[in-house]
Amino acid sequence: MKPKHQFQAEHVVSGYEHRRVVHGVSLSIPSNRISVIIGANACGKSTLLKTMARLLKPESGRITLDGKSTDQYPPKQLARIVGLLPQSPIVPEGISVADLIGRGRFPHQTWLGGWTKKDYEAVAEAMEIMKITELANHNIDELSGGQRQRVWIAMALAQQTDILFLDEPTTFLDITYQVEILDLLTDLNRKHGTTIVMVLHDINLSARYADYIFALREGTLIAEGEPSKVISSDLIKDVFGLECTVISDPVSGSPLIVPIGRHHVNV
Amino acid sequence: MSKSLSLNEKPYGSPTPKHFTIVLILCLLALGLCVLASLAFGSRIIGFKELMDVLFNTSADSYDSDVIKQRMTRTVFSLLCGGALGIAGALMQAVTRNPIADPSILGVNTGASLFVVGGIAFFNIGTANEFILMACIGAAITAVFVLGVGSLGRGGPTPIKLVLAGAATSAALSSLVSAIMIPRSNVLDQVRRWQVGSVGGSSWSDIATFSPFLLIAILIAFLTAPALNALALGDETATGLGVRTGVLRLIASFAAVVLCGTITALAGPIGFVGLLATHLIRLMIGPDQRYLIPMSALAGAIVLTVSDVIGRILGRPGELEVAVVTAFVGAPILILLAMKSKVRTL
Repeated sequence: MKPKHQFQAEHVVSGYEHRRVVHGVSLSIPSNRISVIIGANACGKSTLLKTMARLLKPESGRITLDGKSTDQYPPKQLARIVGLLPQSPIVPEGISVADLIGRGRFPHQTWLGGWTKKDYEAVAEAMEIMKITELANHNIDELSGGQRQRVWIAMALAQQTDILFLDEPTTFLDITYQVEILDLLTDLNRKHGTTIVMVLHDINLSARYADYIFALREGTLIAEGEPSKVISSDLIKDVFGLECTVISDPVSGSPLIVPIGRHHVNV
Repeated sequence: MSKSLSLNEKPYGSPTPKHFTIVLILCLLALGLCVLASLAFGSRIIGFKELMDVLFNTSADSYDSDVIKQRMTRTVFSLLCGGALGIAGALMQAVTRNPIADPSILGVNTGASLFVVGGIAFFNIGTANEFILMACIGAAITAVFVLGVGSLGRGGPTPIKLVLAGAATSAALSSLVSAIMIPRSNVLDQVRRWQVGSVGGSSWSDIATFSPFLLIAILIAFLTAPALNALALGDETATGLGVRTGVLRLIASFAAVVLCGTITALAGPIGFVGLLATHLIRLMIGPDQRYLIPMSALAGAIVLTVSDVIGRILGRPGELEVAVVTAFVGAPILILLAMKSKVRTL
């Protein structure tokens, strides 16, 4: 089981050159659980995730891991604790599945040490968890979108971090693959205790798969907690500006939102 | 399928690319042949028997042995230059994440030449070290400028934008070079041959002068290879893996600039070697930088030496400068690659 960590954002203000996107967010990531950040387009959820994963430097405020600001850790050391799968990573031309996943071992390797038994094991284990062992020698170019995404997650898994950030890991995937990816991530969390923090677009999948939800609106955190306690028609109206009814998901018992809209309303 | 069998035979994520040993042996064989050809061919062709005689019987004192001694210098020089250009190409491609980056395509070689020509015309430089210094400064400024211009606008430095920025800059700088040279006959004489890019006029002292620069740059290239592998997955992924992308780019570009600057200072601007070498190797062993960088050096040495031999054969009784040969081979390859990358990225 992965150790407990305290990962916090303290009054984080962040954004891009001419546009401030996150306006003072403080939060604490529940250790060894799955957290999902939800919010409308351009509400700053990806920016917040990027800032926590040190892709963006906060304008003010700080991100701390176990009480110490993350920019005080040597980058490689931090990369052994906190991993990240960005939204659109780049596939080098002609790379094989195993080679790509192996690159996740970078923070564990030294120049002289080269590849050790541990590296091989980590790659093999990551492929097993993502159920892609039989694809190991394939070229990434030959794979489907769903398979590719599993390869990328396996790369992040090979990094063997305790905390894993994922920026919209299910975007551009068919619903079947979305569920498959979220199931695999849940396996990972339940079996290994990996803390998972991700941005998802689909509210209903978020409500089902998240242990904890952070709801963002215009760069501020407006609600957080377990999905069953947080998700309500009022919150959805607040976050997305959408009228809806919340019912209980007949499969999982988690909250399920049913949008109302202007047409096709019988009740 | 035998896929599941190989699970037990060879660990996955193995750091050694497929076919690596075969490719290495083939390259070494090719390199050996290149060296022999480079010693044998020229305005005077020396037969295999005479060649062996001179090589393994140092006391032999003949006209042939003088010719071979002179060709020896040239061969060593071209191997080193080719190797350096191969590594410079690999580094530039890794740093820009752009398959068609190459010292000549990005205009870096032209920038180096401009500074050397300017140095001769205005500061009266003459020693090899002064040449190298000026060339490195010129290469660095051009690299920064081209990367800067090529990164403007949406999507950052795409292959097409970089190539356009490089070509435009190179054209502008070339005309500056001409503008400086043409009215000054003393400069013209001094740089006429150098300006085309040739390995013919080299000496052992040249080799001794530029070896330390090459060594440092090559060492940096090897040290940065694992981090460059991470950078290949995108800046965000690389940062997530613990790479300081800015620092890495700076160090690797520094090495590339020193390599290009040094070679340009001593041999003149030679294009396309890096491009040809890296693509040849990538085709055979894939994109792992830890193997790609050293093997590109090997391939670069082969490409440049073969080109030099071809230039000597085609240009008999004189010779065709090696840069002319590499340009004729490299330009069509560049067009092919550009067409392919257009499909992939636009």
